[in-house]
Amino acid sequence: MTQETKVLHQVLEGDTESFRHIVERYEKPIVRMIRNIINNRESCEDIAQDVFFTAYRKLASFDPARSKFSTWLFTIARNKSINAMRKKRPVSMSELPHNSDAHNPSDELAEREFFDKLDAGLEALPSAQKRTFVLVEFENLSYAETAQIEGVRIGTIKSRINRAKKQLAKAMKEIRYEK
Amino acid sequence: MKSEEIYNTWKERKSQIDIRENFADEVMNNIYQYERDKGRPLFDVQRLIELISAHRFVKAGVVTAGVVTGLVRIMFVVYNFLAC
Repeated sequence: MTQETKVLHQVLEGDTESFRHIVERYEKPIVRMIRNIINNRESCEDIAQDVFFTAYRKLASFDPARSKFSTWLFTIARNKSINAMRKKRPVSMSELPHNSDAHNPSDELAEREFFDKLDAGLEALPSAQKRTFVLVEFENLSYAETAQIEGVRIGTIKSRINRAKKQLAKAMKEIRYEK
Repeated sequence: MKSEEIYNTWKERKSQIDIRENFADEVMNNIYQYERDKGRPLFDVQRLIELISAHRFVKAGVVTAGVVTGLVRIMFVVYNFLAC
């Protein structure tokens, strides 16, 4: 029995305080995932709070035979992020930072511009592609885990990642970074 | 800087995260509040009053039901009085 499984059993047996270990173990990955998906620093922690609260309330429904606890928790976070994005005003391409000039990001300012461009590229991705990209690239989850969280096949995940990377590569090409 | 380096630096930056120090405490407070509420009896008068006061439409509904009940009772008394 892993340490995590032990803690989960303790919580289910009524030791509420043990849930703190779960919160402390996953707070950063969950907040980071939500922040990168909804792109809103202010509300991501509130949504993460809701994720942990929901996880606590529904802990009895978690089935270790079906998935890892982290996968289950990320699935809750994914669903909450989708709900949050539905409430959020969509960002149109015309509102995203636009750089028409070519730059050489040899200095910090140019580098910042480059990151802004990548951020804008990420923000402009279709919702499912963005979520998949965040889970695989930023959270380093496997394709199989991501497929389980998204409720799709591994092939769909691979294709979403490919398309997202192509889109970001296009954003990178817009700045002439190599001379 | 090569594109791969830039991409990796960007990824690294996106992976950095600072969250408020009392995040876990806030989650645990919500959970303890939930446990306390769960322990409260379902038909707690205090809770019922809180529930009614918290929602405008519930409050209006309770007042309307009270007024209707009062009118029906008055009509019933008057009817019985006249019937005698």
